Amino acid sequence: MNRALKAKPSSKTVPSAQKRLRTSVKGSADVSDVVPLFEFSNVVNSSVDLKFILGTVLLTVMGKMLVSKGMVLLKREPGEFEVVNAKGVDPLTIGKKIEIDRPIRSVEHADRVRATQPWMSFFREHSQKLLVPILAQKRIIGLLTLGDRLGGKKYTKTEHQLINSLVNLSAAAIEKALMIKQLRDVNRSLDRKYQELNTLFDLSKEFNIILDAEKVIRLLTFSLMGQIGVNRYAFCLEDGGKLRFAASKLDTEVRSTEVLRSLCALKGADLVENLAKQKRFFIVAEFLAQIGIVAVVPMQIQNQVKGAVLLGEKLRGADYTKGDLEFLYSLANLAIISIENARLFREAIEKQKMEDELAIAREIQQGLLPTTLPKIPGFEVAAINITSKQVGGDYYDVLPIHFDEYILVIGDVSGKGTPAALLMANVQAALRAFAPMGMSLPVATARINDLTCSNTGQDKFITFFWGSLNSVTKEFRYVNAGHNPPFLLRADGTIERLELGGIILGLMKTLTPYQEGSVTLGQGDVVFMFTDGVSEAMDSQEVDFTEERLEEVLKTVRTKTPSEIIHAVQAALETHTQGTPQSDDITVLVIKAL
Amino acid sequence: MADFKVHQRDGEGVSVIDLKGYLDAHTAPDLENAFQKLLSDRKYNIVVNCKELTYISSAGLGVFMAFIEDVRKNQGDIKLSNMSPKVYNVFDLLGFPILYEIFKDEQEAVVRFRATLKP
Repeated sequence: MNRALKAKPSSKTVPSAQKRLRTSVKGSADVSDVVPLFEFSNVVNSSVDLKFILGTVLLTVMGKMLVSKGMVLLKREPGEFEVVNAKGVDPLTIGKKIEIDRPIRSVEHADRVRATQPWMSFFREHSQKLLVPILAQKRIIGLLTLGDRLGGKKYTKTEHQLINSLVNLSAAAIEKALMIKQLRDVNRSLDRKYQELNTLFDLSKEFNIILDAEKVIRLLTFSLMGQIGVNRYAFCLEDGGKLRFAASKLDTEVRSTEVLRSLCALKGADLVENLAKQKRFFIVAEFLAQIGIVAVVPMQIQNQVKGAVLLGEKLRGADYTKGDLEFLYSLANLAIISIENARLFREAIEKQKMEDELAIAREIQQGLLPTTLPKIPGFEVAAINITSKQVGGDYYDVLPIHFDEYILVIGDVSGKGTPAALLMANVQAALRAFAPMGMSLPVATARINDLTCSNTGQDKFITFFWGSLNSVTKEFRYVNAGHNPPFLLRADGTIERLELGGIILGLMKTLTPYQEGSVTLGQGDVVFMFTDGVSEAMDSQEVDFTEERLEEVLKTVRTKTPSEIIHAVQAALETHTQGTPQSDDITVLVIKAL
Repeated sequence: MADFKVHQRDGEGVSVIDLKGYLDAHTAPDLENAFQKLLSDRKYNIVVNCKELTYISSAGLGVFMAFIEDVRKNQGDIKLSNMSPKVYNVFDLLGFPILYEIFKDEQEAVVRFRATLKP
């Protein structure tokens, strides 16, 4: 088999076979014809090279009959014949397909066939006079046609027979060669399919371990370039209903990818020229053609278009086949799953990172808050702090400083998470340092403000309220630096707000000194300090609880103990929010003079 | 995992890349890096010796495609040599022989470069 495959036309055998046949025909047909016929049969049958076989047959017959024009046609479809070899005829006829509407069973003269048949005019046009069927096992597999003989000699009956013999001797060889060619084609397309599967397998293996969309796209690019042979491409990924370029190599600069939006309706891989025929893709197809894109492959997850691969001309000049598009479609969808996984993975990591950070923030914040409140003679104190999921920067504290002096603090740092918690830690450190130094509250507040200003950026500030309570004189001196004014609920039912103070901490260095307020707490008087987490607690419609409502609640519970007051406020908040997730920390600090 | 190695030898005006082992999606970035380095060193006359290349996937072929334009734009070329029939079959299947010059022997490829280098 192998030897036969390699058998090349021997330059010696062919002409000599032709020559002998030619010389033997000079006389009338006799026994000596058998030898060259046998030799001819040997030559054609030892080859599986279709081109060689057809060439040899045609040249042999032409040489023997002294004809200068001849053709070989092979049957492709029922009734359809293709010119595969032509000598002495315009070479452009090779590859032409001709419909022949009736079987040709024996040698026919073109001149005798009815002129109305259109296929006859083709033969006449190329001066083909004799039509010889190539029969293999009585099936017609082709036609050999010959022009006029030199000198105008007519074909005799014996010559018909000789031509028939020559042609049919080679029919088996032609059929064998055709089958081998077909087998080779099938083999090659199988090889290609195998190669495609290998590529898919290779990539799926690799995609599984890559969690980086960029890397996935690069590998996909390489595989497309290698497998399909494209050098111009663009990868679009879906982003909020639009397709944006994630990677591209085009000759034209693309400013806007807005028009690609309609590709989200794609159902499968297709050629741009086909899209152009559909109304809803007409505009995008025109755009794609302009930037040199020939084929479009959607990347889908559960029938949702998540991206698209846009491909330019194949470098080898070939057209995209159906097989190509199918392969591309599989490849693209393999890639998008990996890209999507990479995205989910990154999201999960970010979420985890954020949660880790929040856990740290929560830890810092909880560390800042007092675990137990000091007892203040003649007063009752209670506090609560409920952190939101994001961890705000709420803070409260009760510090004994001198024999009868106690500091009460409540504050709220802008922002959330670790930065807020750290800033609050700073403020706590500062106030704990300044408070026992005998500075007045306004001076200490100014110092804390200046410190905060130099330690933080423009975007960070703290609303801050603190007071110094003398447990003997019951005097409560305070400074309010931009904090929600605490409620002073007098035992007689009047309500005051503790507003005196100055600017929020951290916005700018202290220019105007902070003012100090002073109240004396009589028996049954309550100071209710809170953060905006209380007054701005939202229901599902994002409606705030408001300070007015808070005041209403407080009016009804002012005679209760601090912890009962806190519980009542908490209950009112729950009624208001109806389980809507808390968006900010809630902090309350309450003292009551006994 | 199968091994893949890229080794570079610089001759007079021509750089030879020896490929060894399994060139697939996993190892393609190694070859990519090698080409990247050649280009940043302005070495555009490249012969890729595939003598010890046991397998090539389309991702591997894609790397050749990704660089050929840049190389040729700089009057260079990527020529291939010493392919095993198995590796050649893949190149052939995907139509690469039309795009790249493939030589039996590395020396032939180098000689071809030299011929164009010295007019």
